[in-house]
Formats: sequence, structure tokens, C-alpha cells
Amino acid sequence: MTTHTTLSAPPAPAAPSRRSHPEGGSKLERRRQRWGWLFVTPFLVVFALFLVFPLFYAFGMSLFTSTLATGTRFTGFDNYAKAFTDPLFLEGLGRVAAYALVMIPAQLIVALAAALVLDTLATRLSRLSRLLIFAPYAIPVVIGALMWSFLYSPRFGPSATLFDVVGLPAPDFLAADSVFGSLVNIVTWQWSGYYMVVIYAALRSIDPAVYEAARIDGANGWQTATRIKVPMISSSMVMVITFALIGTLQFFTEPVVLRNIAQGAIDAAYTPNMYAYSLAFSYSQFNYASAIAFSLGILVFAGSYVFLFLTRKQSGLK
Amino acid sequence: MSVFAPRADVRDEPLTTATGLPSHEDRSVRDRRRRNGGRRIGSHVFLVILAIYFIIPIWWLAVAATKDTSGLFGSPAFWFDDHFAFFENLAGLFTQQGGIYWRWLANSFLYAFAGGIGATILAILAGYGFAKYRFRGRGAVFTIILGSVMVPLTALVIPTFMLLSQYGIINTPWAVILPSLLSPFGVYLMRVYTQDAVPDEMLEAARIDGAGELRTFFQVALPLLKPAIVTVLLLSIVGTWNNFFLPLAVLTDETLLPVTVGLNRWTALSNAGAGGEQVWNLITTGAFVSVLPLILSFLFLQRYWQGGLSIGSIK
Amino acid sequence: MKSKLLAASGVVAVAAAALTGCSTGPAEASCTNEILQPDATQVSVWAWYPAFEQVVDLFNETHDEVQICWTNAGQGNDEYTKFSTAVESGSGAPDVIMLESEVLSSFSIRDALVDLTEFGANDVKGDYTEGAWKDVSSGDAVYAIPVDGGPMGMLYRKDILDQYGIAVPTTWDEFAAAAQALKDAGAPGVLADFPTNGRAYNQALFAQAGSVPFAYDNAEPTSIGIDVNDDGSKQVLSYWDDLVKKGLVATDDAFTADYNTKLVDGSYAIYVAAAWGPGYLGGLSDADTDAEWKAAPVPQWDAANPVQINWGGSTFAVTSQAKDKEAAAVVAKEVFGTEEAWKIGIEEAALFPLWKPILESDYFRDLEYPFFGGQQINKDVFLEAAGGYTGFTFSPFQNYAYDQLTEQLYAMVQGEKSSDQALDDLQASLEAYATEQGFTIE
Repeated sequence: MTTHTTLSAPPAPAAPSRRSHPEGGSKLERRRQRWGWLFVTPFLVVFALFLVFPLFYAFGMSLFTSTLATGTRFTGFDNYAKAFTDPLFLEGLGRVAAYALVMIPAQLIVALAAALVLDTLATRLSRLSRLLIFAPYAIPVVIGALMWSFLYSPRFGPSATLFDVVGLPAPDFLAADSVFGSLVNIVTWQWSGYYMVVIYAALRSIDPAVYEAARIDGANGWQTATRIKVPMISSSMVMVITFALIGTLQFFTEPVVLRNIAQGAIDAAYTPNMYAYSLAFSYSQFNYASAIAFSLGILVFAGSYVFLFLTRKQSGLK
Repeated sequence: MSVFAPRADVRDEPLTTATGLPSHEDRSVRDRRRRNGGRRIGSHVFLVILAIYFIIPIWWLAVAATKDTSGLFGSPAFWFDDHFAFFENLAGLFTQQGGIYWRWLANSFLYAFAGGIGATILAILAGYGFAKYRFRGRGAVFTIILGSVMVPLTALVIPTFMLLSQYGIINTPWAVILPSLLSPFGVYLMRVYTQDAVPDEMLEAARIDGAGELRTFFQVALPLLKPAIVTVLLLSIVGTWNNFFLPLAVLTDETLLPVTVGLNRWTALSNAGAGGEQVWNLITTGAFVSVLPLILSFLFLQRYWQGGLSIGSIK
Repeated sequence: MKSKLLAASGVVAVAAAALTGCSTGPAEASCTNEILQPDATQVSVWAWYPAFEQVVDLFNETHDEVQICWTNAGQGNDEYTKFSTAVESGSGAPDVIMLESEVLSSFSIRDALVDLTEFGANDVKGDYTEGAWKDVSSGDAVYAIPVDGGPMGMLYRKDILDQYGIAVPTTWDEFAAAAQALKDAGAPGVLADFPTNGRAYNQALFAQAGSVPFAYDNAEPTSIGIDVNDDGSKQVLSYWDDLVKKGLVATDDAFTADYNTKLVDGSYAIYVAAAWGPGYLGGLSDADTDAEWKAAPVPQWDAANPVQINWGGSTFAVTSQAKDKEAAAVVAKEVFGTEEAWKIGIEEAALFPLWKPILESDYFRDLEYPFFGGQQINKDVFLEAAGGYTGFTFSPFQNYAYDQLTEQLYAMVQGEKSSDQALDDLQASLEAYATEQGFTIE
């Protein structure tokens, strides 16, 4: 294959469209570039069918109002005005924001600490630990939440026996004020390993020469970690945080599963996504549910955009 | 299997190794690290504590799968009961509702592989298209695709249901597989990887030799994309395997459910508990058996995981 | 080469999927049960009764022109969610569906159910109790055929009450006294549980004190009467709030694994239950083998004027998406319309029949339940409860109403508000919701 490249390619790699081509001009180029569409089309067809079209349909639904008593009529953006003044929606938003403020740093700290430690070790124990930490990713969220709901159970969970050992009364993990921590725990458990692997891979890509230079300058382990490693993987961290942010703002599965055993502590509108779900499937208010879901989507988009904008230097995007 | 694989300098060459782990350490650095014994013990203890935390629920599940229902509620959570009931539970999985559990498991495999492989194929093609061709509207379309991960699923369920109903494929495997073919993150990963791993010169050379675009793709580009393909495949399969909400919404027939929805149904049944239908022991054993394939595949396919996730993170 | 392998496996997988997809065909063709007469009209049925397959088989054997194609589409809310989606999208609903009576008006208001009076519903009216028939009717229309009910009684642990020398309460005052006595005697458990997520259970307790929370008639679908903070409800709720505050009853959520265990291990000495309660208890494993369960009538506010109450109960309705409504109506009327079907329902599924021929039969009256040490619980308790039940009107947004009730009760139990306040807040929130949904409040 290498012999081919010496025939016609100029010494430096350059974009094909800028090179003069022995066979023809830019018209051929353009025709060839349109092959791009061909490759992209299969995906786009499915994308259009199962995402764009339903999205437009859902948006259309959100412009109508259908009440139980009076049927459906067009109301434009009324539903959105209602959503943004709906105390249940706003409360849910505040709640997921609070979750984001706690869960994202929690997952990040665990993932970062584990990745940094793993980066300095090369033993079989560390490799085993890495696998074990990543293992929860293999568990479907529903099953993970199910397992934790057993573990949180005052009767069947270990909390009674564990706390007996220390001599304290077992805490109720499912009471209104403790369910926040309980959910933070489930999510941290489920996702930290995944983020850890991403960060670890980024750490592994750092040129060891940098460490050599740092060692010569007298940096110790901690300084190396905080002043060299972390800044150098900032783009990965930004990506991790962005995904975690999107996921947290759309918090749904874990509270829904836990709600089965904590109906008082977790109500039907606990998170905005749950609110949309309850509106649609429990109360048959499909139009308003669409508006809530879209409003949430808009906020998620805005939030992510703001975050990426604020971290554009670190993320190296655009 | 060595942790230290040959490393590619990020700026110059694409990642061409299967492991993709782009780091290797030179001997002196390794020696130095061996000398920091004390800190290493601390680090190991920290890792062990973390590992225990992450393993606890899985251990609980494994132990719970060996108990029968009264043992579940009677014996301590983290240790075995006197009565080792694992094989009884497995037998129960075969008899409960005519062995529908295994049907569920088979469904999960079907949906995950069909959806995963299909999603990967679409992602490979689209990623290549975005990476190697400059066509009008490329940027806008790609941004829209990326933005789609932010759409809350709840917004899409009703319209998707209606669409699938219209085409008469509601309550069939297609209802789960077709929507699962979408993997925007897969497209993103493939694009990023293709940009680095497939040099334009090689494509040019193939074209000069007279190869058409498709042939160029299959014979030149595809072999170079192997590591990313494996990663996207694994991610898509795991994603579809773990999918819960979609099959819950579009499937009614019990024999079509994947194992996540099926187990959830048994849980609802056991909670409501009418007439002797508490099957907690089957739920725990069923959950345990259902997570085994993924955990085992993680164990044996570690290198691909690490390699692939590094692609996205470096960019 | 890996990509070839990938491509090959991809083709195989997709082909397999295609084959499976093709063979299941349209939803109706995939029945859990066997169709005996392939040429007959098939009626699709969604139901979650235990042992229902036997009842379906019985029907299919005895009907040549109509065959049931049954699927279990989930229990309770899981099934309702699917049905709701199918109604909204205009397709995907079964011909006949099992619905609890409390959700009938939520679906009839969306025109999802067929008025069965055109299909001979009134022919079978005489086979059902007055209360049962009222639950499935709205004005002159009849939207479903009753199947089973939940007349309420009190199941108690005789061994625990005897151990602490407590007499079986017959009034709520005696109940409170018993609860106090149990605590004073140092028992490890409490007398009963007050679940904030009791939903229909809590509603029934209020009804016993005369509460009529909703006035709704499908003939006038846009007006509704809401009265949830009436004196009866307030009396009942403040009674229970008092017991909760004194620690005499537990406040565990119902229908969880924890709750199930506590029911059977003596943590609760009394279970105020519906007639399907015994079946529920009997099915719970890890039961205390020394337990001696007995049934007694539910406590009353006024011993001289007993009021019977009901918790739950299911029906079969014909959906407006049914292709052959006549055939569907036949199924709804007849599937649980024979003695043989009911024997299965009673013995295998622990259902309480609302079908008079079996309800009033000697067989049912004299039935001895081994779980209760051979007590004839129907004769002693549940027949009278069923007979005295006069029916109940649910709102067309009952799911929402129950969710709100749960929230208010939870807040009360957490000490955030008084019982009166909780009911007043409930009234306000339901009125606001009804107005928002376009109802006029009477």
C-alpha cells in the first residue's frame, strides 16, 4: 500500500479538495463528497423515523390542550407558560438541580480518585479493583435499583444487623429526608465505574515524559496528580460532567423503581421526567406531558450549552 | 495480559492497536514507583475499599440467588443460608409460567444483538460519512444528532408508540429493535475515530487506483476501524440489553419481554402478592443469571472497553 | 476478518428478528392460551387473575362461535398504562379488558369503553348485588360486568390477642382501646398498620363514616361533585392520626416486601382486609406456623347501624376498539358466568364472587377455609359485608385523586399537618385539578 502513496500524494497531508487532481476538477470532487450523504443516509433514515418525526409529533401535541371534560383544542404555547409556572415542575427542577450539585461531584470524585490511584499502580490487585469498580455498569439500572431497594429495606437489608453491631438504631433509608442520600448512593454506585474508565483511559494517554520533567522539578505524587494530570485530562472531565449533567437533569429510572417501596417519600412528580411520565400514563394528560418533557429538554440543552461554554477552554471544543 | 501496551503518540499517529491503551512506562519510572511502598499500600487499601463498595450489591445478589424465599427473608443478607437452594431456584426458573424466564433471556439476547449490531453498522457508515466527506450541511446535521441525546425519553414514547402502531409492528420484536438502532454517541465515536485512524492519503491512493467509494470504504477504511467498531458494538449491545422503558411501553405479549421488564413484572406480582404468587427467590436468581453474561463479557473483553472509551476521551 | 464476521452475524441476527417478527404476526394471534376453534370469532382479553388460563380454557371448550385469546398485559397500573396509551393512539387495545371498578370512569370519560346496555347487560343485572351493579354503572349506562369484589372484614391473630388478653374489637372505640392495651402489655408488634398509600383502603374507611367523596354521572360528563373533607372523613382521619401519634399503629407502606412480612410474622395483630385478603395472606411465605388467623366483621362506628364497605373489585369491560362488540360482550358476560368457572376462581385464585348464583349458594356460604382453621368466613363475615354494600362513585381522575390522598396522608403522618388540614388541602387540590380539567364543580 505504501507504494501507492508515493505516486501521487504531495509530501504534506492536505485536504483532498484543495489538491489539484490529475483526473479532473472540483466538480468530480463535489460529486464524490456527496457520497458522504450516502453513508450517512441509513442512520439518518432511522433517526428521522424514530427521533425527529416523533419529536415533531410530540411538539405538535404540546401545542394542544386536552382536558378530561372538554376535549382537545389548540392552545399554542399556553402549555409551556403553564409548565414554567407549575409549582410541581419547578420543584422537580430544583430537586434535580440539587441532585446534580451533589451527585456529579460525588461520582466525579470517586471516579477521579480511583483513576488517579489506578494510574500509579500496576499490580494485579489494582487491575482486579478496576474491573470490580466498573462492574456495576453491567447491571441494568432497573436491576441495580431493585437490588438496592432490597438492601435499603428495614427488614431484609443488612442495615439492621450492621447497625446492631455498632449499637445504633438502623436508619430508615426510605424516609422523606433520607431518600435523597439513598438515591445519590444508587447513582454513584451505578455510574462512577464507567466515568472512572473514561478518566483512566485519558490519564494513560499522557506522555510519560511530562512526568519525568515533573520529577526532575521535584514534584511529589500529590502535586503531579493535581497540577499535571488533572489539567491534562480536562477535556475528558468536561465530557464526563456533561453526560452526567444531562443524565441527572433527566433523572427517572432509579426514583421510579424506588418509588415502589417509598410511595410517601417519592411522589409522582419527584423529578420533571417523572412528572411528565405520570401526567401521560397515570393521568392521561398527554399534551401537557409533552410540554413538560419539551420544557425539560430545553432546559437540559440550555444547561449543557452554558456548561460547555463556561468550560470551552478546558474542553478544547470548537 | 499486560497493562502497558505500546503507546501511540496522540498527535502523530492514529490508535491502531486493539487495546488502544496508549501508555507504556519506561523502566526507571517503574522502578521509582516500586520504591514508594508505603503510599502503595495506602492506595491499595483505598482501592480495595472502593471495590468492596461496588461489589456489595452484586455479592448480595449472588448470595440471594442461592436462597429460597423463606431463606431470603430469614437469613442474614450477606451470607448463605443453611439451605443451598440455587439449583432449586434454577429449576423453578424453568417451571414458572412454563419457563418463560428463558424466553425472556433469549429475547434480551435477540434485541441486544440485533439492535446492537444494527446500530453499529449504521454508526460505522454515518461516522465514516461525517469524517471523510465534506458535504453541505454536514456540520448542522451532526450537531443535531449530538443534540438528540438531550431529548427526554418521555417526550418520545407516545409518538413512537403511535408510529409503531400505525405500521402494525407494535408488540413485535421490531418495536424494540428498530428504535434501538439509534446510537448518536456511536456515530460520534466512529466519526472521531475515523478521522484519526483512516488517513486521507490512503483513501486518495485507493481512489487513484480506480476503486469506487464503497470499495474504498470496505477494503481500506474498515480494517482500520476495528477497535472503535468493537467498542461501539459493545456499548450498543449493553445499551439495548439494559433498555427498560422502551420495551415496557411497546410490548404487551409476555413472551416478547426482555428479561429486565419480565423481572420487573414478577416483582410487581410478588409485591401485590395475591394467591401464592410470591416468587422472590426466582427474581433474585433470575436477576443474577441475567447479569452474568454481561459481567463475564466485561471480564474477558476488558481491553476493548478500555481502548474504546479512551477514543472519545482523548478528543 | 472481523468486519465480515460482524456483517455475517448482523445478517443472521436481523434475519432471526425478521422471522420471529413475522411469525408472531398481529397482536391478536399470539395468545397465551390455546384456541380450540380456529374458525370462530376471536376476542382478545387482557386480564391478570391468577389461574385465569383455566377459566379461559373452560370458556373456549363451551363456546363454539367465540374464542378467547388471552394475554396478561400486566397488573393494575401496568396494564392501565398500556391501555391508556392504546386509547390515546387509537389502536393496540384489546377487545375485553379487566379493569378495577375504581378506574372505570377514568376510561369511560375518554370514550374508551362501550356502553353494554346495548349488548344485553341488563339481562344479567339480576345476577349481581346492588352495590356491585352500581359500581359498574353510571346513570343509565353500564360500562362493565362485575367479576369479583372486596367486601371488608377484619382478620385478626387470635393467638396474639389471646396471649395479651385482648377481646376482639367490634367498634372503633374498642379497636383503639385494644391498640392501647396491646402496647401497655409490652407486645413487640402493634395492633395494625395505617398505610398512607392505602388508596382505596383509606377511601373505604372514610366511606364507612358516611363519606361520599364524588358525585359523577357519565351522562353529564363535565360536571362533578367533590366533597372529600366532609365530617365523616375528618372523624375517621383524626381517629387514625391519634393512633399514629400515640404509636399504637404502624405507618408502613402497603404492598411492599416489608409489609408482607410484617403481615405474617405478628408485627400486626389485625389486618383490616378485603375478602381477597385471606388469599393474599395465604400466599405469603414465611408465615408464622403458630399463627391462628380468624375473621370477624369490620369494626363499626355505631354498633347499632353497621355500615359495610368494599375495597377493590374488578370487572370486565368491552373497549371501543373492539372489532366485534357483540362477541366481546358475550365474553364479558359469560367468562365468569358459570359455577364451574367460579369454583376455579374461588379455589385457585381466592376471588370473592359478585355473581349471585354462586355468592348465595350453599357451597360458598359453607366453604371452610383451612387458613382460618376451618372457619366459614363467608358465612361469618363476608357475605353480610357484600350484601350490605351499596356501591361507590369514583371520580374520572381517580388515579390523581389517590396520588394526592397518599401525599396528604404522608404529610400528616410525618407531623407536617393536622388531619383536618390534610383533608382540606386534598379538597382544594382536587377542586383545582377538576377546574383545570374543565369540569364544573357542583
